[in-house]
Amino acid sequence: MSKALAFINDKRVRDWFYQAAVLIGLVGLLVYFIRNASENMVKAGIASGFDFLWRTSGIDVPFVLTSYTQSDNILALFWAGVANTLFVTAVSLVLATLLGFAIGIARLSSIWLVSALAGAYVEFVRNIPLLFFVLFWYFGVIAALPSPRDSISVFGVAFINNRGLTIPLPDAPANFHWAFGAILVAFVAQWLFARWAKRRKEATGQDAPLLVVSLILLVLVPVLALSWASLATRWDIPVLRGFNYRGGFVVIPEFVALLAALVTYTAGFIAEIVRGGIQSVPHGQIEASAALGLRPAQTLRLVTIPQALRVMTPPMTNQYLNVLKNSSFGAAIAYPDVVSLFMGSALNNTGQAIEIIAMTLAVYLVIGLAVSAFMNWYNAKIALVTR
Amino acid sequence: MSATATSQSWRERLFGTPVTTVVTLILALIIAWVAIPIIRWALIDATWRGTTREDCAPGGACWVFIRARFGQFMYGLYPQGERWRADLAGILFALGGAALVFAPQRHKLKLALAALVVLPPLGVWLLAGGFGLRPVETREWGGLMLTVFISIYASLIAIPLGILLALGRQSQLRVIRLVSVLFIEFWRGVPIIAVIFLASLLLPLIMPSGIGVDRLARAVIGLGFCIAAYMAEAVRGGLQALPSGQREAATALGLTYWKATWFIILPQALRISLPAITNEFIALVKNTTLVLVVSILDLLGIAQASLADPNWVGMSMEAYVFSGGIYWLICFALSRWSKSLETKRAR
Repeated sequence: MSKALAFINDKRVRDWFYQAAVLIGLVGLLVYFIRNASENMVKAGIASGFDFLWRTSGIDVPFVLTSYTQSDNILALFWAGVANTLFVTAVSLVLATLLGFAIGIARLSSIWLVSALAGAYVEFVRNIPLLFFVLFWYFGVIAALPSPRDSISVFGVAFINNRGLTIPLPDAPANFHWAFGAILVAFVAQWLFARWAKRRKEATGQDAPLLVVSLILLVLVPVLALSWASLATRWDIPVLRGFNYRGGFVVIPEFVALLAALVTYTAGFIAEIVRGGIQSVPHGQIEASAALGLRPAQTLRLVTIPQALRVMTPPMTNQYLNVLKNSSFGAAIAYPDVVSLFMGSALNNTGQAIEIIAMTLAVYLVIGLAVSAFMNWYNAKIALVTR
Repeated sequence: MSATATSQSWRERLFGTPVTTVVTLILALIIAWVAIPIIRWALIDATWRGTTREDCAPGGACWVFIRARFGQFMYGLYPQGERWRADLAGILFALGGAALVFAPQRHKLKLALAALVVLPPLGVWLLAGGFGLRPVETREWGGLMLTVFISIYASLIAIPLGILLALGRQSQLRVIRLVSVLFIEFWRGVPIIAVIFLASLLLPLIMPSGIGVDRLARAVIGLGFCIAAYMAEAVRGGLQALPSGQREAATALGLTYWKATWFIILPQALRISLPAITNEFIALVKNTTLVLVVSILDLLGIAQASLADPNWVGMSMEAYVFSGGIYWLICFALSRWSKSLETKRAR
């Protein structure tokens, strides 16, 4: 009797029992759901399996970055959606980071009106749903733009109207391939030079002209390369024919609206992260570096920013992942991202809900895990080294 | 920084140095250039009284539109004669919330549990009808009422589930920890819009045939699960902030896991994480707008749908300003409250 009691009261036995109970309960629930689902699917005559991916899609996509056409299979449609998701995410990330940094620094400005305006922007943007901004930009702003006939002309080469943004496209992109190659080489060269300069400074204490070299490699080379490429290329400039523009490349209004919404919304959150990061650096650090004779610019670059970055990295990662997830808001205005193309159109055509939902969610989970892994690596790299 | 700002006079703040003066003047000009047309449109040139579109002066805002459709913005297509039920439910919930905030500390727990048991079914009964009240299908619900309804009921799922998940993540038991982490990371990793699609497609599929799940209930469950994962992370912050001595001391006194959690850990951890929980609630209020994608018309959805009315063409700005303003007021008030909680703790 007492042996049995001791057995029941043994912590290890109890732990095993609880865990087994939870596991059995969850597995049972899962089996129950799967059985219901397969029964319901048989009743509704829905096929299962991934064979549908090789069927011809027949879905017309207004904005494609891959080589997808209507006659391709559904798998190609999936990749076209993924490409659109990644594209709008990448562009928004860059613009939102720039705008967010500008506003975050403006909030710390010693000029009262500047910081007050930045603060008002942040309070305005953060307390309104993102979907509101998406709809507002799409139905409120872009729909109110003039028709193609009365487009707003940007130097006579690009045109803004309610059908989107029409921009010129190079006839032959070969020159641009050379230009981008040159820019890539310059960037690698800058990285190598900076590394060499840092090593030499640590070894000998001598300063290298890093700023001048960086400006040449990071600014001058790209500007020169791109100007050469655009001057040496014949451009397909959009021309008004009838009711719309012909030629050039049309950035659809859905993209413009989604981009504008994502950038303005996310910038408010990034601004707060930047402000918090910079404010987290104790004032004594700045005073100490001034006492050591560092110039204000050096203090900012060598003392404030490295420490602020350490605080900013984790919340920034979250924001970047939020932008990826929030790009799905485009589904509300039919921007052809993976959710609206695959979970919307393809699902309507095939009815294979489970497979399609699983693939769509997998896109976000895989990218999310990859970004988290990269940011963890980066975070470890810039983390405080305690000796 | 703020200490010096308050001690400065306005003159110094705006025109302290030459640079400040120049920047202030330029910005003031830009503000005037942007704000004056907006103020003229929204207030001075606006039309406030009337019944139809023809009553509105051109060039100004037509607030007549909002007046004419005010009922829809608030209740959606809820039957006119039954709207008192939505009001009553709202008042009951507000009273319940106020009682929780202002009740003396020792009655709070009992009160909270009582409110949790009584209010949610009562609210559903009032809104949906049946048992003596005229039934109103969820298809007819809408507007601000629906925004509030979804926020409250989704958080009724999200907060308890989130607390359990946060405890599970801290648990010594490996299986429970793993299950909690997988659940949290899965729901945090996927877009909420996809979750709402998923809930509306999958929930009917996994239920035994013959049992339908209401369209609105699907959206609430989907949102609730998703927000639960975020709530769990908010609660985890509070749990991690507690010194481990608290649990050890409770265990040494002979309290079981659940007793220690209930009486020692959660009261302290939840108080710490209340600002974070409020922030997640704000995110939830903003995310309720996503039910639009499964054609449930909350406040933003009603505003969007009202643009299609042929009698009121071209009223998009009025509809957006009005609905956006309400969202802003709700979220701003909540965020101020959460901030005041934080400063109260810090002191």
